[in-house]
Amino acid sequence: MEPSSIQEPFDLIRLSLSERVFVKLRGDRELTGILHAYDGHMNLIMSDVEETIMLVEGDQPGVAPTVNVAKRKLDMLFVRGDGVILVSPPSRT
Amino acid sequence: MSFFGFQENDLEEERQRIRNGGAHENEDVAVYTWGEESYDGLGDALQEGGDDLNDETFGGGGSVGKDFDFAGQTSLLEPELAQQKSLSSEVQPRRDNAPVRPAEQHLPGDRRAPQSLESIWDDRSPFSVLPRENGGSRFAERERREPSTSQFSPFPESPVLHQPNASQGGARTLQEIEAEMRTAALQSRGASQRQQNALRLQQEEEFFQEQAYQRQRLAFQRERDQERELQLQALQRLQQQQVMQLREQPQHQRTPPPRMLPVSQSPRFLDQRQMLLLQQQEEQHQLRLQQELQEQLHMEELERQLRAQQISQLNQGPTHFNHRRQPSGPTIAELQALQQQHLHRRQRSQSPAYQDFNVPPQNSVQLQQRLLAELAQVEYLRDFQGATQAEQEALRAEAMRKIVEAEKMEDKRRKKAAKIAHMSRYNDLMTQSDKDFITRIQVSQLVTPDPYADDFYAQVYGAILRSRMGLQTQDERVLKFGTGGGISLGNTQKAATRRPNAMQRMEQQVERIVSNARRREEEKGLHSLHSLQGALGKTSGRSYKAAPRQLLQVDDNTSTSPTLAHAHPHISKGEATGPSNEGAAKEAAKLSRETLGNTGNVVRKDPLTRRQVLTTLEALYDLVLKVEHLRREQPPPEEEDAFQRWQREYDDLVEQLWEGLKVMVPLETSNPHPFVSLLSPSKGKKLLPRLTRHIGSSRMLTLMTLLVACFTQLDVVKQAPLLDALEETAERAEVERQTQAFLGSVLQSILPIVANLELHVVTALLGLLIERSQDIAEVAKTKPGLALLTLFLSRVEVIKQAWNNGAEPVDVMTAGAALEQWQAVFDQFFVLLTPHLLSLFPSSRITLQAHHPTSAALAIDIIDQPVWQFLAALALQAVPEQHQVLVTSLRDKVLENVLSANKGWVADEDERRTKLANVNLFLHALGLDSSQIAL
Repeated sequence: MEPSSIQEPFDLIRLSLSERVFVKLRGDRELTGILHAYDGHMNLIMSDVEETIMLVEGDQPGVAPTVNVAKRKLDMLFVRGDGVILVSPPSRT
Repeated sequence: MSFFGFQENDLEEERQRIRNGGAHENEDVAVYTWGEESYDGLGDALQEGGDDLNDETFGGGGSVGKDFDFAGQTSLLEPELAQQKSLSSEVQPRRDNAPVRPAEQHLPGDRRAPQSLESIWDDRSPFSVLPRENGGSRFAERERREPSTSQFSPFPESPVLHQPNASQGGARTLQEIEAEMRTAALQSRGASQRQQNALRLQQEEEFFQEQAYQRQRLAFQRERDQERELQLQALQRLQQQQVMQLREQPQHQRTPPPRMLPVSQSPRFLDQRQMLLLQQQEEQHQLRLQQELQEQLHMEELERQLRAQQISQLNQGPTHFNHRRQPSGPTIAELQALQQQHLHRRQRSQSPAYQDFNVPPQNSVQLQQRLLAELAQVEYLRDFQGATQAEQEALRAEAMRKIVEAEKMEDKRRKKAAKIAHMSRYNDLMTQSDKDFITRIQVSQLVTPDPYADDFYAQVYGAILRSRMGLQTQDERVLKFGTGGGISLGNTQKAATRRPNAMQRMEQQVERIVSNARRREEEKGLHSLHSLQGALGKTSGRSYKAAPRQLLQVDDNTSTSPTLAHAHPHISKGEATGPSNEGAAKEAAKLSRETLGNTGNVVRKDPLTRRQVLTTLEALYDLVLKVEHLRREQPPPEEEDAFQRWQREYDDLVEQLWEGLKVMVPLETSNPHPFVSLLSPSKGKKLLPRLTRHIGSSRMLTLMTLLVACFTQLDVVKQAPLLDALEETAERAEVERQTQAFLGSVLQSILPIVANLELHVVTALLGLLIERSQDIAEVAKTKPGLALLTLFLSRVEVIKQAWNNGAEPVDVMTAGAALEQWQAVFDQFFVLLTPHLLSLFPSSRITLQAHHPTSAALAIDIIDQPVWQFLAALALQAVPEQHQVLVTSLRDKVLENVLSANKGWVADEDERRTKLANVNLFLHALGLDSSQIAL
């Protein structure tokens, strides 16, 4: 293999093109979907996406906050890069 | 009208008045009040010639009474006159006074009885009427045209109006003349003296005339502003506002646009003298223009008032008129027209926009005036003819509509013209070289080394569009410049028709720029560093151009990467040991084999890790793109040199591709085989169709053989059982996706290979498949496997038919041998398959449960379809005994389908038809039909 083919972090993301990826976003959101395109701002185009939104309720002190999870599916999605925290291949079992 | 025109007129009149006054002051004309009481007999003192016809001319002799009537019209206008008088007494007194008042000025108050105002108002002489009626009176004419610049200002009650210089000149002249004449008359009445006096008088007259002339000119300039104010004071409030507005407007419009004069020349071409001259001209022009404006304004005012009075009913009070606002449109338009005329004169070369702008306002003014006139006429006629109320209303409505319409149109046009004029201010602001410069900048942004790839999507989309529209495809819409680069022209379907000229010009421009750049490059090349390279001695062997040393060394080796190795424990086989570095060359492989003492001649390796697969795939895609790019740039075969060079490069890249695919890696190297690993991601599967163009068919056959040999290693085959679950899970969706990609890409790309296979090759492949897979039935239970088998069987059928038809001439001996071979392999295959015939159907494998939706039933029939197709192909190859086996095995399935279709145990018509079609597919191959089945 050619180790020189990986020269910058984006080269690793490139490996995941047209693969399923896991994306963590700001605002307690996560995505899994097939990555189609990305750019230097980490803007992403994804298809077949499932978005998971964590909703934390009850922020009063003393009360244990409850976490609700909302999910939704999207056929095609443009993700703006400034919200992306991490992109990774999905964990394989 | 010229600047001095008024003065000249004035002087002319003055002279005449003096003459007339001298000659006829004893006449019993009511107007000439100076002849009444304090007459000093100066008239007799004057001796002038040419007075013979004065009586006839001025109607002297008899008394002129009130009954003096022109064309019998005066009585008709009597009431109007009264009204007008009362109106003008509050508004514009001087208009009625004009013909009368000069006398007051001429004669000092102590030398004549003061005339009451009433007598003036009551004055019904034709002169007071004429100006309004036919405009025939010289006095009125003068007054009307140039009221403010009149020396004989008829406003003793408003002292401001006395224009010291101008009026003094006139008054003094007369006083002096009179005084002199009087003394002369008293002292001696001798003819000689009189003659001398007359002579002197004339001289003096001439002198004063000149003096007055000059003074007036000065006065006019000095007091222009003051005069304007005075004039405004005399006008109605409303009118005043209007005039103010109007005067302000031209000043706004006159300001030239930034960096620009109305002339088409660029400002830098005007030297200072020219500028000065221009300014002077402009000032003079403005002066003149202002005069014209005022004059015209005044004329208009008068006319409009007259008309308005005609229009307004006789019984309507004057207040009605006072409150009636005059439409401001015409005046503004007129002003603009004037303004434009002014501009027009100043402009040396005119843009069409300006001309456009010039014409409409004038036209519209005319139009509006005509409309107004029509309206006035209509109303006038109606007044006299006593039309019915309804008709009147209709007429008025019609007229109003017309006016409103005309105003609207005019407004629109004016806006448009103003816009055009506004934009055309910047016409010719840039020189051609400026434009060229900007174009060069723009074009330089467009040039790229690989225009096709940079505009890839537009190019592909354009190609699709063109092919869909059935147009002849010119390969690419790019502009190329040798090897240097080019510009993508994108999809210029519309643009080409709309602005072909601009495109052409851009292309020319680009070509010029590029050729220039190339020439510069060549020139530079002659003296470039290359020619000097090595001139100072050689550097050491190491290249300093190499990329800086990486700080972070990412090792791809699986064995040294515990996390990755750990991530794929299920793939790693215990036997696969050895420090087999994927990246190492064959030398390394040989070495490791020797050190490990492997007895086999095949090196066992770990299968490719996921990361390795992806990295390899990316590298392969890079290669594919390069190859595709190269292919587009194939030079024509005539250019021997270039073509050979290209061919070498191309072959080299294809070789790299082939290497990268790892097809030639020995079969037993790993499980799955590296090539199969490469096919596991969907992008790996999708890569194959793009490769087939470049890889020769013999290599493709090798590839297919490998694929068949390793068929059971394919992810889509291994994980096929997941598809038998009806629950929607992420894994199932993934397998579904991969299966679709495999069927759509991999099988599609080997389809043309299979379609050209010889019978013995097909036989060998089927044999290989049976041999390599532990259980052929398992393979047949998968979609890809079923598809591949169907492909083989139908190919054999095609070959057989071709032989039977004689379409393919064959040697009977070899054909017989091949057929025999085939039959042997097929028999083996059939035997192996027979126990599993029913379980080939997904519908049989899937146990439909109650909670499944009804739509699942139809879905099952659809996924059964390939199986029926396979069975049909199988039946075609089978010998009659095998038919028997087939029928007995599948009897239940066939009957079940036919029954449910005929007895209506189906959800809808679709399902019924699908079931029957499926069954018939198979039965037809046996020479039967579902309708033959009696239940």
